[in-house]
Amino acid sequence: MASVTLRGLSKVFDDGSQALHQLSLDVRDGELLVLLGPSGSGKTTVLRCIAGLDEPTAGDVLIGERVVTHTPPAERDVAMVFQNHALYPHLSIRDNIAFPLEMRGVADAQIARRVAETAARLGLGDVLDRRPDQLSAGQRQRAALGRAIVRGPQAFLFDEPLSSLDAKLRIELRAELLALHRSLGATMIYVTHDQTEAMTIGQRIGVLHEGRLRQVGTPAEVYEHPADVIVARFVGTPGMNVLQGRGRGTAEGERVIEVGSLAVPVELSTYEGELQLGVRPEHVGLCAVDKGVGNADVLIVEPLGSETLVHLNAGGQGLVARLPGFLDVRVGTRVGVKVDRRRLYLFDAAGAPLA
Amino acid sequence: MSWRGWAAAATTAAVVAAAVTLGVARWAESRYERAFAFRMAATTAAYLAAVTPPPPAPPPPRRARPTRRARPARPAGPPQQPPPPARGSAEYYLPQMLTLARALRTLPGWTSEVEVYYGTAPLADATAPPLAPDDLERLAREGGRWRNGVALVALRDRGGREVVGAVAVRPRSVPRGPLPGGMGFALPAALVAVGGAAAIAFRQRSLRRGGYVAAALLLAVAAYADVRSAARRSTDRWLTDTRRLLQEAATRLPPPRSRVAIEDLTGLVRDAELLPGEPGESAPRRVDVDGKRRAVVSVLIGPGRWLELRTVAAEAYTTGWLFVLLACALLGPVAILGLRWAERTPRRQRRETTIAWGFLAPAGLHLAVFSLAPVLFAIYLSVHRWGRGSVEPVRPFVGLTNFAAALRDPLTWIALRNTALYSLYVPVSVALALAVAVALRAWCRGWGLGLLRTAFLLPYVLSVVAVGLVWQRIYQSGSLGLGTTDWLSSPTTALLALMLLSLWAHVGGQMVVFLAGLQRIPQAYLDAARIDGASAWQRFWRITFPLLRPVTLFVLATGIISAFQVFTYVYVLTRGGPLPDHSTEVLVHRVYQTAWGSQEFGAAGALSLLFFLLLLVLTVTQVRLLGKQVEHA
Repeated sequence: MASVTLRGLSKVFDDGSQALHQLSLDVRDGELLVLLGPSGSGKTTVLRCIAGLDEPTAGDVLIGERVVTHTPPAERDVAMVFQNHALYPHLSIRDNIAFPLEMRGVADAQIARRVAETAARLGLGDVLDRRPDQLSAGQRQRAALGRAIVRGPQAFLFDEPLSSLDAKLRIELRAELLALHRSLGATMIYVTHDQTEAMTIGQRIGVLHEGRLRQVGTPAEVYEHPADVIVARFVGTPGMNVLQGRGRGTAEGERVIEVGSLAVPVELSTYEGELQLGVRPEHVGLCAVDKGVGNADVLIVEPLGSETLVHLNAGGQGLVARLPGFLDVRVGTRVGVKVDRRRLYLFDAAGAPLA
Repeated sequence: MSWRGWAAAATTAAVVAAAVTLGVARWAESRYERAFAFRMAATTAAYLAAVTPPPPAPPPPRRARPTRRARPARPAGPPQQPPPPARGSAEYYLPQMLTLARALRTLPGWTSEVEVYYGTAPLADATAPPLAPDDLERLAREGGRWRNGVALVALRDRGGREVVGAVAVRPRSVPRGPLPGGMGFALPAALVAVGGAAAIAFRQRSLRRGGYVAAALLLAVAAYADVRSAARRSTDRWLTDTRRLLQEAATRLPPPRSRVAIEDLTGLVRDAELLPGEPGESAPRRVDVDGKRRAVVSVLIGPGRWLELRTVAAEAYTTGWLFVLLACALLGPVAILGLRWAERTPRRQRRETTIAWGFLAPAGLHLAVFSLAPVLFAIYLSVHRWGRGSVEPVRPFVGLTNFAAALRDPLTWIALRNTALYSLYVPVSVALALAVAVALRAWCRGWGLGLLRTAFLLPYVLSVVAVGLVWQRIYQSGSLGLGTTDWLSSPTTALLALMLLSLWAHVGGQMVVFLAGLQRIPQAYLDAARIDGASAWQRFWRITFPLLRPVTLFVLATGIISAFQVFTYVYVLTRGGPLPDHSTEVLVHRVYQTAWGSQEFGAAGALSLLFFLLLLVLTVTQVRLLGKQVEHA
């Protein structure tokens, strides 16, 4: 096992588009780091640069202490699990798992032993002689996992391995993956666009946006203290409400931020002018008209059972409130809005956090 | 439509089918009558050409002979001759021809209605209308033609060159059918019977119980019997009339001749055999000669001198008509089945099915005319002796003789061996195409790829003949540094040269298929293999090649099949030569040569069917192989 370090990694493709900008990241030995970002944010490019499938335009990749920037993939000793498993369709599961060992010239007896071990660990013992297309989706992804772990690589790279599975299977395999990480103690870099997945399995999360790493931190850090508006919006389901507003003083000597039809009192003495107010949906409440910080129209009500999401229109600004249980709110009615004043985030017009 | 309406439609269909059957039979009979008329006219023309002397050299001293009614069957005494015949003259002595022409009409036992034209003027019946001026011209081109219900055959001059007149024979109108009362009664009766049977069949909702099929088939068989008897009659009439002509000719052939030789008379009957014979009946009879049915008549040409005139018995080769007539007769039951289906089926479905068939019809017709019909004809050809060189006017059924002959012919086996050898270029070109495709995909991008791909594909899309001609020049000795050997005329290199050319021409096409196949292999497999530590070589052999297997098999299979069908390069470059060894003779070229070189169409048909079987075996094997491999791709 080894750490993986990226230093100032940039990647410009042949067509001139820049996928990565000066990206630096330190993945500690034995850590499970999740790279989270919307599609097109360059997550997969980072993985391919680490694996050696793509060469960075600038910057370095280190595995352990070794600089491998221009080393062919075969010599980097990392394993990768692909989104669509990429099991060789013409080989049996046994041959698929044995493939990396064969390519490295491991003795037959040892191959057989290690394949058997791996299969037993992943519960694939019964299907070793089947072809990939004769397996269920979950078994296929396990087999792809088996092909990765069989040779005990320095690091594992996962490229959205669960995104093609259905929700139930995804949750099941997520747990298995965590168990696997614990038992192997391996360095893993896991790419996903699903922030729930990122929150649940990541020891640390790196949020990637348009080729730039916005924030790296534990799930709690990323959730509680987003580094900027983009991270704030992206993390969480639904993401943080970010409203465009103006701060000003009132006649009573309080400071308020006017956002649309709301006037939110804040304890921010020094700032006036354009800013952005962030509030997570769970910190937005509803009350009688004119009893809160302002009024809003109900656009959509989404009852989810344990909670209800209410989409509001506050003077042209969209706002989501997450409320427990079922609610008797009619679409089109006007309601009062409350916010938890202790849980407000303030960003400047450019998106950087204030204070 | 009401039930009554359906029944009426069924009856109509049955009546129409019966009428078509009888009409076809009548048409077949009139064909035999026409054939007889042409044959008789040709024989008569030959007779006149043989017996009419040239005009006398000096202005002919015309002996006063008024319109002479020549009584035929004169004893051996020489007929009247113009005294000094102008030797070498190509013209006929017209008065003599006039006499002979008129004599024809009074020959006892002669059944044909004949007219002889000298120039455009009729000789026997002076009041008959003359020929049109362009008739002779067209006769000169075509030899014989059908005009105003009369078979016209050219009468050439004594040298056999210029057309100086014509002989016309009018066939008798088709005699009545085999049923009592002749066509006038039998036709309506038959139609009513068939229609009634059809109506019953329709009401009982079963073609089996109604006896309608039996009635229709019975009608077809009766019609066939009629056709067969017409064929027999036409042979008999020709024999009878020709017998009389031969007897006439024996007495009238111009001197100097003491005894008429058989050779003098055979010229009159080129499409039959004339042999010395035994005394026999003057009526035609049937004998089997060498297992073949022959019609025979005995001819007395002098005291104690008998000949035997033999010709093919036309009725022995009428089987084809039986099938045609049965097919016609079965139109009725088929139509009734269709109507029954239509009656049972809901309107909407009926409409949709009809429309569907309407859309299918053009393609189906095309398939029937241009694929099915030639195949059936080839099968028909292959079991008949069918050659232009053959003396016989008919194409006898010979069973599997053609097939046996094709298999015995060493050239067939040479062609098979060469074809198999030739097709060995395919694995080489497939390997090459795969290599080029992989290389292009690995190293070429953008317009470079397009350019190279086009360059490789170009030979494949060029005109095969043009490519062949260019390579012919290339292979000629001394050109393009290919050494001093003339590649195409050396038995050791000719086939190799063709293989090289085919290799060059086909690599591009196969490469494009491989490129498409490579494109279909997801990059993820190759990425995974790279990470798993596979080298480029291992990636190709362990991942790319197995995944391309269906494509490879497809290219290989289609390549071998098309290699077996090679013709154009052989035809353009070598024509199967160099000759003593037939070094580049291949199967399709052999078929072509048999048909158009040796004019043996029956043998060519048999050979092409054998070839078809070979290709079928090849294709089925390869499709099986392909089918197995395509599953996991």
